[in-house]
Amino acid sequence: MTTQETKSAETPAVAHPGSDTPPAHVIVGPDGQPTRDRPWIIRTYAGHSSARASNELYRSNLSRGQTGLSIAFDLPTQCGYDSDDPIARPEVGKVGVPINSLDDFAILFDQIPLEEMNTSMTINGTAMWLLALYVALARERGAAVDKLSGTTQNDLIKEYLARGTYIFPPEASLRIIAEMYEFCLVNAPSWNASNICSYHLQEAGATPVQELSFALVNAISLLDLLKERGNIPPSDFERLVGRISFFVNSGIRFVEEMCKMRAFTQLWEEITAERYGVQDARFRRYRYGVQVNSLGLTEAQPENNAWRILIEALGVTLSRDARCRALQLPAWNEALSLPRPWDQQWALRLQQILAYETDLLEYPDLFEGSVVVEAKVEELKAQAREEIDRILGMGGVVGAIENGYMKSALVRSMSERVSRINTGEQIVVGLNKWTDGLPSPLLGGEDGGLFTIDASATAETLANLDTVRHTRDDARAKAALAALKEAARSGASMMEPSIECALARVTTGEWARALRQVFGEYRPATGVDGQRLGLTGDRVEQLRARTDALVDVLGHRPRIVVGKPGLDGHSNGAEVIAVSARHVGFDVIYSGIRLSAEEIVRSAIEEGADVIGASVLSGSHVELAEQIMTGLHAEGADSIKVVFGGIIPLADFPKLQALGVAKVFTPSDYDLIDIMESVTSLLEESVVDAT
Amino acid sequence: MSTPPDRIAAAVAVAQEALTGGRYAVSRLISLVEDVRPSAVLPRDAAIAALEDAARERGHRSSILGVTGTPGSGKSTLLAALAGLLTANDPALRLAIVAVDPSSPTSKGALLGDRTRMNVVGAPERVFFRSQASATALGGLAPSTFQVCRALALLFDVVLVETVGVGQSEADIRHLADRVYLVIAPLGGDELQYLKAGIIEVPDVFIINKCDEPASRSTYHQLRASLWLARPEAGDGLPIFRTSARTGAGVPQLAEAFITDARSHSSSVATKAPHFFDAWVIEEWGRAGKRQLQREGGAERFLAAHEGFGRAQLAFDAAIRRSLQG
Ligand code: B12
Ligand SMILES: Nc1nc2c(ncn2[C@@H]2O[C@H](COP(=O)(O)OP(=O)(O)O)[C@@H](O)[C@H]2O)c(=O)[nH]1
Ligand SMILES: [Mg+2]
Repeated sequence: MTTQETKSAETPAVAHPGSDTPPAHVIVGPDGQPTRDRPWIIRTYAGHSSARASNELYRSNLSRGQTGLSIAFDLPTQCGYDSDDPIARPEVGKVGVPINSLDDFAILFDQIPLEEMNTSMTINGTAMWLLALYVALARERGAAVDKLSGTTQNDLIKEYLARGTYIFPPEASLRIIAEMYEFCLVNAPSWNASNICSYHLQEAGATPVQELSFALVNAISLLDLLKERGNIPPSDFERLVGRISFFVNSGIRFVEEMCKMRAFTQLWEEITAERYGVQDARFRRYRYGVQVNSLGLTEAQPENNAWRILIEALGVTLSRDARCRALQLPAWNEALSLPRPWDQQWALRLQQILAYETDLLEYPDLFEGSVVVEAKVEELKAQAREEIDRILGMGGVVGAIENGYMKSALVRSMSERVSRINTGEQIVVGLNKWTDGLPSPLLGGEDGGLFTIDASATAETLANLDTVRHTRDDARAKAALAALKEAARSGASMMEPSIECALARVTTGEWARALRQVFGEYRPATGVDGQRLGLTGDRVEQLRARTDALVDVLGHRPRIVVGKPGLDGHSNGAEVIAVSARHVGFDVIYSGIRLSAEEIVRSAIEEGADVIGASVLSGSHVELAEQIMTGLHAEGADSIKVVFGGIIPLADFPKLQALGVAKVFTPSDYDLIDIMESVTSLLEESVVDAT
Repeated sequence: MSTPPDRIAAAVAVAQEALTGGRYAVSRLISLVEDVRPSAVLPRDAAIAALEDAARERGHRSSILGVTGTPGSGKSTLLAALAGLLTANDPALRLAIVAVDPSSPTSKGALLGDRTRMNVVGAPERVFFRSQASATALGGLAPSTFQVCRALALLFDVVLVETVGVGQSEADIRHLADRVYLVIAPLGGDELQYLKAGIIEVPDVFIINKCDEPASRSTYHQLRASLWLARPEAGDGLPIFRTSARTGAGVPQLAEAFITDARSHSSSVATKAPHFFDAWVIEEWGRAGKRQLQREGGAERFLAAHEGFGRAQLAFDAAIRRSLQG
């Protein structure tokens, strides 16, 4: 995968109209001469298979001039499991790089100079562990820890709401984040301990106002906590506020998105000045990176996605006053598979053309003084302030996670969104309108436009893990884990004990297990309760009549267990299906994400379900289907039907069918009533078969 | 009503399998008990009779404990914690939980979400969990909850029933359970209204959950005061537990109470069935049914005269049809 990154310098001043100053459409440099802005940081998110494969990838990217890394970890690493844990096995290396111990990290950063690198890690539930590994690696290599620069994403609030790689309860999670800020401020001042994310909220359905308010109230709750803990000297508090950075989404309604970014900038200015009394303007600046919207990228006519991505990029680059500092773009085949190197290169070229070919960076803010933009921004700000106050009234983000308020709000927005697409009120070209088209040549290659992972890479990862367990000083590892737990219990910082764990070759799974024992595991509200679809009419009524009729045939209302097996955190599909099933008259059991296949089978068995609907977007559908079918068979419950949905390549359909999966659905099946009709038919047919 | 003998034999076989602990068999047995088709009535009776015979033979005793309260007060989370403690306390104990959720009035479907909280630490293999849809929007018991609990009580040592306590169902849970526990969260306006609306009459035990929240202190005093007014006869005797399912505070003490209650109560179906027969008659036949039942000498007599709840239902159907025609 190709990646390139350029550092942006301090932005020069904008000229103001005056007698001997240049005209308003010119940017003036520090030397008084007209100039053009430096581009934002251009990045790509990368990592897969194994530490060795990813290291090769990073080094080849660096040799082409890239100066920073953006690391994708696999789901076991993100959720705190070793690669050989039963729940981890199907997921190792699939959507990112697996890291089990410091030895894997040493391979990942082999021949990469840590002090010169800007390393961004998309890591949350185990963020403290990954930072500890990074610091430990620096110490072992004799690199200066205070020169380390980069980011651990480490926003657990959005994990509970949208992304799913949480481990501990909210209070423990926030404590971990706070301890990392406290550590970094002293030891690694150029490290961003966390990144407040609203990107993922939009991917889970958030409206612009929800993105604004949830992200800002998240930042407020974090700063309030850091202040309350009292470990940061007041003289350093401004600097701390200045370390807060954001990760935002940019959707297809690009005018509104541009206004949203202006609203973000202004509200943050307001909050830092008024709530925290920050004097230095540099520390009030709203710093943000962007990944543009992927939720709206379609499996149908995937070539159309290239235009969507371009338009979405405009929303966060057009307005100079609210321009992003870093930008990541998805690829045209987003809804099909992980991107191939060429797909990433194509997306990268878009950024380069926008930044280097066009005249965008030559102008001061284009929208200053626009009455229309101003009014829209004010409206967004007012609505966001109202929502922020509401959530603060619930005790901030922790309260609004625990009472399920924010999650319900997102599931409602998502249900409304899919309903609008279903009714045609919201047009998605190629999906619900102008669906007839010529076949896309992009899908024509030998690989069908898909990226596939080399499955053999797992063996090396497992062998390395085995070696670590057998060659380390066990006594040291045990003592390190005991000290970690002691710190967790006593309230002392867990950062140094975690670094000692890293040095002692403790594994990812062991680190997380130790803290799970102290803090427990958390299962947030699913948000689906009480949600409805905005779909009515004859088709819905007819389907309800059919589910009613099934009551007389089955003896009970049709029952579906909607399951999210494995570590996959993509909940949108499962939530929408759960809500739809109830909408048409099913009794629905949905217990949220991250259940083992065994737990899902047990639910279906105990609940007397007629059908299990599994939703898998992590690429592990074949392994998980195997586990579910084996589990059902072992209980003599082969009569329970199984259907699958998610990101499932056509090539895998026969594999699933051979395992006994009755039906498979993908993003092209956007019509929820179609889907539910199909599941209902399956039950009707099974009754006919049985008699 | 003719039911093929092989269906009856199959139902008895499921019951036998459930007795030897097959999880799927227990589930199929519950499905049979819930089955709304007339053809299921006699197989159901046969299965329950088989369970009763087996229970008599081995001297099986069990109790049904009801947990009710507003949505979100923490019933499911508490039950998961209690299930862990109860099974740990008695290494032979087998426990069933039935959780009832409201159905949508428009689509008739229900979202059964209690399982989400059922993270039983300890011995999940001795715990069986089943969700039920209430078939009414308000919650309360489902039409089949009584029969399901009755069957489960013949298989398990303790049956815990979780319901959303509103309206009619307040009385129902009292008739179903040997003890009724009410779970409330620290009083907000909603909870207070809810107490005043009559539920305060029902429970044997009060639980103020979420005591990790600051408002819980004043709640205790408010509740005590309300109890003096509402139930002067019970006075200070009514137990109030303060728990936090989140931190675990107070949960072991509550578990003690559950263990004691489970030991000291043994469910007698004979005393409970008449109420649910009454309820069924009214649900199916309304006022005419009520009059007919009076003519027949009441539910207790009617049940005694017919072997099995289902058989009695069929006989009643026949009787009322005759009298309506005649
Ligand atoms: C939204 C999204 C996210 C959101 C998820 C928000 C949420 N709470 O769900 C966020 C931003 C958090 C996210 C994160 C990640 N994502 Co993502 N994400 C997507 C995206 C853009 C859309 C998925 C979606 O929600 N669609 C909308 C829903 C309604 O559609 P759906 O799930 O397909 O469901 C429909 C049908 O499939 C079907 N269906 C689905 N399930 C079921 C079940 C039943 C029973 C039935 C009947 C039908 C059915 O019916 C639904 C209705 O139409 C896809 C790409 C894409 N455009 O599809 C990538 C994608 C799924 N993500 C991907 C990856 C890699 C990740 C990460 C793992 C990255 C990383 N390394 O950290 C993370 C981690 C997430 C985790 N914990 O697992 C990859 C997966 C690659 C693969 N399978 O090989 C994809 C394909 C993107 C890509 N090309 O790289 N993601
Ligand atoms: N703070 C706190 N939250 C709790 C406690 N018990 C349950 N909860 C939370 O309250 C919400 C509702 O709990 P649940 O058990 O589903 O309630 P139910 O509807 O009564 O069954 C969940 O988010 C629980 O995590 C508690 O003791 N303290
Ligand atoms: Mg509940």
